[in-house]
Amino acid sequence: MTAPTTTGPDLGEVTVTDEGRPSAARRFGPLAVVAAVVVGLLLGYAGGLLTPKLTRPGDTSAEAGFVRDMTTHHTQAVEMGLLAFKGGSDPEVVSMGGDIAAGQQGEIGVMQTWLRSWGLDPTGSQPRMAWMPDGESMIRDGLMPGMATPEEMAKLRTAQGREKDLLFLDLMIDHHNGGIHMIDGILDVSDEAEVVRVAQTMKNVQQKDLENLVAARDRLKG
Amino acid sequence: MSISTPGGPERRPTVVSTGKKPAAGRPASGAKAGADKSTGATPRPSAGGKGKGPRKPIAPVKVSQGRSWGPIALFVAVGVLAVAIIGYGAWAAFQGSKPWEDRASGIDGVVNFRKKDPELVKGSNHKQGSITYAQAPPVAGPHNATWQNCMGDVYDAPIANEHAVHSLEHGAVWITYRPDLAADQVTKLRDRVQGQEKMMLSPYEGQDKPISLQAWGFQLKVDNADDSRIDEFIKTLRVNASIEGPTANCGPPGITATGTTPRDGTPMPTQ
Repeated sequence: MTAPTTTGPDLGEVTVTDEGRPSAARRFGPLAVVAAVVVGLLLGYAGGLLTPKLTRPGDTSAEAGFVRDMTTHHTQAVEMGLLAFKGGSDPEVVSMGGDIAAGQQGEIGVMQTWLRSWGLDPTGSQPRMAWMPDGESMIRDGLMPGMATPEEMAKLRTAQGREKDLLFLDLMIDHHNGGIHMIDGILDVSDEAEVVRVAQTMKNVQQKDLENLVAARDRLKG
Repeated sequence: MSISTPGGPERRPTVVSTGKKPAAGRPASGAKAGADKSTGATPRPSAGGKGKGPRKPIAPVKVSQGRSWGPIALFVAVGVLAVAIIGYGAWAAFQGSKPWEDRASGIDGVVNFRKKDPELVKGSNHKQGSITYAQAPPVAGPHNATWQNCMGDVYDAPIANEHAVHSLEHGAVWITYRPDLAADQVTKLRDRVQGQEKMMLSPYEGQDKPISLQAWGFQLKVDNADDSRIDEFIKTLRVNASIEGPTANCGPPGITATGTTPRDGTPMPTQ
């Protein structure tokens, strides 16, 4: 009995007194509406703050694993490239060495910047290649696919002339093949747009390099 | 209706404009409702109980009060939730990405020369010849123009401080061990270093603990290669401790030769 009678006059009154004013303010009062707006803004702000943090790659993600391992892989290519640039005798070997060293060093900078923006350390806590399916089985003597052994690096350091040129070409061809294998690994599992884009670029560069490295080796071997 | 507005004045005119009977009774109780719960609530039951002609004027007041607490409770609840979410986010962000400096200080036994001797750690000039360091092994300071190759190199003989300090500046963690350290212990250290750029390992004559770890401005000495603080030190300080950032070079023309006498003017010397 109370209910119908209360709503009756109430509705009537609202319609009568509404006079085009917002019904929310009418119904709840301006302070309540302001409070609702403020709370809504705070919620949106909190969501905006949290979303990037919750969705960015974590310490054990495939992306972080790839970035750390590819940094190690690239760093050895830089070392090889600098040795060829400094001590190679064939002009194409010298220029490719410099090109690869400078290019991969730049990519290391990109990858390390990702780690920093993801709030992660350059050093991971997972085993090498753990981010890639069956990745750990690809490791030989602690080395990732295509990487030169300490003995091979020592040999590259001391070799001279044509021997150095050919050793560089052999080692870098293996290195790029291994690198492309790892890049395919991240392309298979990641949907992080920027990572995928840069990984694809790396693959393009290394595939193009490979053609030139193989051609140079054929030429030097006569 | 206008619950949360104690501003009776705004409410009153609208009611007045209806020109109904209730107008007289409502503004008074409406004002009360905004100002005070208890007084506003008490008239309700009695009003409903009477059920006479005047029930109309009183009933609307009851409705407005009933509606008022729902939204208020909702806003409070949502507000508390929002604050909780923001608070959690801030806390998680703070904990999760605690600066590496804080984490380094949290490693038991680590010596932080950034605090202890800020001048030493600022960055240093290249110097030729032998340099005397206050720490053994050294952790920072002036150094030779050429760095020791720190591409996960495992040196089986002592290396020159002057080159090694330059490697620290480039972000390397340099692990040293007393030459009398057991072979299996050395193997455990080697496994952490080999093939990992920005790392190097060498024996060191005259250090006061079996194993010592150096990063630019940080040092940790331990007795055993199984000590978990070794990995903690590496994870926290490798590259991070460098004052030159993650792209400093550890490869050529870094020196790969051993021997404790620094080499000047010998670009890319070989063994």
